[in-house]
Amino acid sequence: MDPSPLSIFGIRHHGPGSARSLRHALETLEPDCLLIEGPPDAADVLPLAVHANLRPPVALLIYDPEKPQRSAFYPFAVFSPEWQALQYGLGRKIPVRFMDLPQAVQVGLAAEAETLAEARRVDDPPDPPSPSGPPDPQEDPVADRPDFEPPLSRDPLSHLARAAGYSDSERWWEHTVEHRRDGADVFAAVLEAMTALREAAVSSGLKSVEPERERHREAHMRQVIREVRKEGFGRIAVVCGAWHAPALAKMPPAREDAALLRGLPRRKVVATWIPWTYGRLALASGYGAGIESPGWYDFLWALDARQAHGAGTASDGDRVATHWLTRVARLLRGEDLDASSAGVIEAVRLAEALAALRGRPLPGLPELNEATQTVLCFGDPLSLRVIGEKLIVSERLGEVPEETPAVPLARELAREQKSLRLSPDAVARQLDLDLRKPNDLGRSRLLHRLNLLGVPWGRAVRQRGSQKGTFHELWNLQWHPEFAVGLIEAGLWGNTLPGAAGAKVRQDSESTPDLPTLTALLDATLLADLPDAAGHLMTRLQTVAAVASDVVHLMGALPRLADILRYGNVRNTDARVVGELVHGLVTRICIGLPGACGSLNDEAAEALFAKCLEAHAAIGLLQHPDHTSAWNGVLRQLADSPGLHGLIAGRACRLLHEVRELDTSAAARRLGLALSTANAPAQAAAWVDGFLRNSGLVLLHDEALWAVLDDWIVGLTPEHFTSALPLLRRTFSTFQAAERRQMGGRVAGGMKRGPMWVGLPDGFDVERADRALPLLAQLLGLKG
Amino acid sequence: MTHALRRHAEHQFVEELQALARADSKPRPPNWKLSPWAVATYLLGGSLDDGTEITPKYIGERRLIEVAIATLATDRALLLLGVPGTAKTWVAEHLAAAISGDSTLLVQGTAGTSEESLRYGWNYAELLAKGPSLKALVPSPMMRAMQEGRLARVEELTRIPADVQDSLITLLSEKTLPIPELGAEVQAQRGFNVIATANNRDRGVNELSSALKRRFNTVILPVPDSLEEEVRIVQQRVEQLGRALGLPAEPPALEEIRRVVIVFRELRAGVTADGKTKLKSPSATLSTAEAIGVMNQGLSLAAHFGDGTLRAADVASGLVGAVIKDPVQDRVVWKEYLETVVKERDGWKDFYRACRQAD
Repeated sequence: MDPSPLSIFGIRHHGPGSARSLRHALETLEPDCLLIEGPPDAADVLPLAVHANLRPPVALLIYDPEKPQRSAFYPFAVFSPEWQALQYGLGRKIPVRFMDLPQAVQVGLAAEAETLAEARRVDDPPDPPSPSGPPDPQEDPVADRPDFEPPLSRDPLSHLARAAGYSDSERWWEHTVEHRRDGADVFAAVLEAMTALREAAVSSGLKSVEPERERHREAHMRQVIREVRKEGFGRIAVVCGAWHAPALAKMPPAREDAALLRGLPRRKVVATWIPWTYGRLALASGYGAGIESPGWYDFLWALDARQAHGAGTASDGDRVATHWLTRVARLLRGEDLDASSAGVIEAVRLAEALAALRGRPLPGLPELNEATQTVLCFGDPLSLRVIGEKLIVSERLGEVPEETPAVPLARELAREQKSLRLSPDAVARQLDLDLRKPNDLGRSRLLHRLNLLGVPWGRAVRQRGSQKGTFHELWNLQWHPEFAVGLIEAGLWGNTLPGAAGAKVRQDSESTPDLPTLTALLDATLLADLPDAAGHLMTRLQTVAAVASDVVHLMGALPRLADILRYGNVRNTDARVVGELVHGLVTRICIGLPGACGSLNDEAAEALFAKCLEAHAAIGLLQHPDHTSAWNGVLRQLADSPGLHGLIAGRACRLLHEVRELDTSAAARRLGLALSTANAPAQAAAWVDGFLRNSGLVLLHDEALWAVLDDWIVGLTPEHFTSALPLLRRTFSTFQAAERRQMGGRVAGGMKRGPMWVGLPDGFDVERADRALPLLAQLLGLKG
Repeated sequence: MTHALRRHAEHQFVEELQALARADSKPRPPNWKLSPWAVATYLLGGSLDDGTEITPKYIGERRLIEVAIATLATDRALLLLGVPGTAKTWVAEHLAAAISGDSTLLVQGTAGTSEESLRYGWNYAELLAKGPSLKALVPSPMMRAMQEGRLARVEELTRIPADVQDSLITLLSEKTLPIPELGAEVQAQRGFNVIATANNRDRGVNELSSALKRRFNTVILPVPDSLEEEVRIVQQRVEQLGRALGLPAEPPALEEIRRVVIVFRELRAGVTADGKTKLKSPSATLSTAEAIGVMNQGLSLAAHFGDGTLRAADVASGLVGAVIKDPVQDRVVWKEYLETVVKERDGWKDFYRACRQAD
């Protein structure tokens, strides 16, 4: 084959077809040294790749210990060619080296760029015109993508794909390379194609725009190859992204590369393995070099592995379509959707017919998806989404062994624990935090963040009727060893505690459909002081609130948000966003509440009664004229609607009276109407309950109301009175004993008109009391 | 030449079909006039090597048409689902015209469709005179399609009573039609298949049994993809219909059409056009056809009771009527939409006021 000791394998990252061909090629070649495009900084943790407890998908995490945000992830799935090469090399015990430009240098470059940017900002401060600001290299300090392609070709293959008549380069690659099962000389062809592409790029002048970083990377790879050759290896296999293959095949003089790499800044970096998920491998999660369908690739890989072990004899096409659609059918059955074997057979036939219509040798994922939707889901695209999540992307989570070096998150936690003087202890203890002290506030924040990340080191203790006020927090602390694992898993979300907690909250919020849970999450997020994530949650809340049909949920969300808006007790929450959210909530509540109040039983009425009170308080708190007038309009509508449960109608009337929307005579008229004999006694009594609950004072001080109630009771027939008595009693029993006593006194004393006086106790010193009056007046602002 | 008000697809597009047949070198399934590839080109449009332009019959996702054709090629029956006004019948007719060269084997589904229209009836004079015989038999379009190996169409399948629907099951799975009176049967020739259309909004009328459902591959035809596309469809149809009805009003301003289409699209999709705000969707279908209806009603209001120029108020009453089909649920949806979206939109003040008044 190749006369030189060098064999170059241009692959596609995470391409199962590439992986399969590579494995074959390596087994034929039997190299004595293996070079892989990857970060050399990871050399120390490389042997862990064959550890029994390391299960892909995993990622190599390389980060700057001083600033963990500066980091890069190199994800590997079982079907990644790099992973297969690693397994092959480490399994055969031949030297395996990563040859990419070290992250130490890339992080160094990023740090340098940051300093430069900083300097530029200092030089030129009065220039923040556009909201986005000047292009800021800090945005993307190190692209977390090992195979960032140069701009010619954000998608270099698209040119080839277009030439072949495909609209989509992914699909073209899939059909020409990934789906090949013979694997013969695919790499030679890829090398040739890429060489032609790169030459075309040079001749069209695009090469010049290739970023410096790419040139550095390729130069470094060549230097490593030279080094290895110098060491005298005879059969060197080089595994790199297809785009780089030509650059490594043709070696320019070593001097040039050395000159290019001279004087690059370096920083100390640390490498470790972390578990990864297929979900994060998928394109949808924003990972640049991602793939659309890791689950599908995993399936293809597993199918091949099985064939390699001699199982199954049917032809390839049948096998892929049949096995895949059977899995789909099983999943659908698990979701309680009908999917018969006959349906699977028809779906396989349709997928094949479609492939034939489109001139493809085998049904691919699009054909299988369309067949599934048409045959198994009866055209319904919704069920397909389940398949997308569970099968095509798949939820698989990788594992890393315990010996893996600690993740930055654990380091940061250790640092925080030290600075906050809060050491982990396996013995449970209670901690009382005074949030006015910065140190205690920091501790509270840390505990809240850990809780969000699923590391429940501290559990907040709800204190009922605490005398200590809102600035106190009580925690039960207990450290469990398994939290270490939790931290490693949480490392998936980010390298800093706030970053990871924020990312986790975002993820959780996406999968939480109901309003109360979201509000609770928002609460926790605010306590954990994650303004970004809180902003995201607000948007999400808005979306969910818009489609929520349960007014009770909407009303449940309102008080907490009103608090936030009114008191701004929350650090840095964007008041405008909350304002919009609250505005939308109030509007929706006002529109939906009258409908939600129809045909309630006693239990539901009680629940809604409480919510109405909360909402009323919250809207009162907001002091926004639009909201108040809309809410009062709804209350009036409720008070007036005839079929409404008495409890709600009565309270609506009472609340209107309270905010002076109804004057006393109007309220009295309504009470009279509600208590007139036309209404069933149970309804009337419920009305009184709603009207008077917890508010004996109104009755004591409002003559007109007192009279109406009195007249009503006097006019009841004995039977009516008996049936109303329990409900009346329930209402009256909620009054303070003193209030009841005064009412009793009033009833016993006959119809005494005029304002009530509280009698002066014996020995009351009027003169001394008078002396306190000026000061009281001053306190109440009655006098200048 | 015929003076028919509306010509069959295979007559109207006869040149295109012939050109395709000439250019078509790909394998054809038995008894198909064209290959699947040519059928797809006929429906989706394109230009042939000999310079013939094929007009697109269906504007939308290519994928859907391909699935439909592949289904017919696998001898599974095809069910086209969609809300009214999504070109189901149109697609079915053109598929039949392209595949069998004949779109006339049609059974219209109604509440009164009887088993005879799916199987066969009798010529009673003949039957009484000579007893049961093949001559006395009156074949249904379905039976003829089976004998000739063509495509049969069933319109509005879900409106057909359930017991009549069931007679399709044998037909579709066994591909034979027994005639017990004669002790004979008709076996379907190759090339026979069924395209059914149904409205997925009123599924409840006569919901397909799962046994029947399993015999169909289902393709759901969506409402138009983009705002511009839908505005264009509405504008075109409103102008045509306005002429046909002889309405004296001026053709509506594009702006009014856009507004109505935007309202329809937003409520249908449950999200505002900018994708920022979620909305509840009303129970109404809100198809393009209904948008056309709203515009026409507005035009006629403007012509007969207004000054001949279409204004927001003329559209509003029709619009409210189209959206609020369920007086309780839909009213909430509509009011929320008015208060949270329409009220704040720039330049929609008159529209908001008109809708408030119409409500």
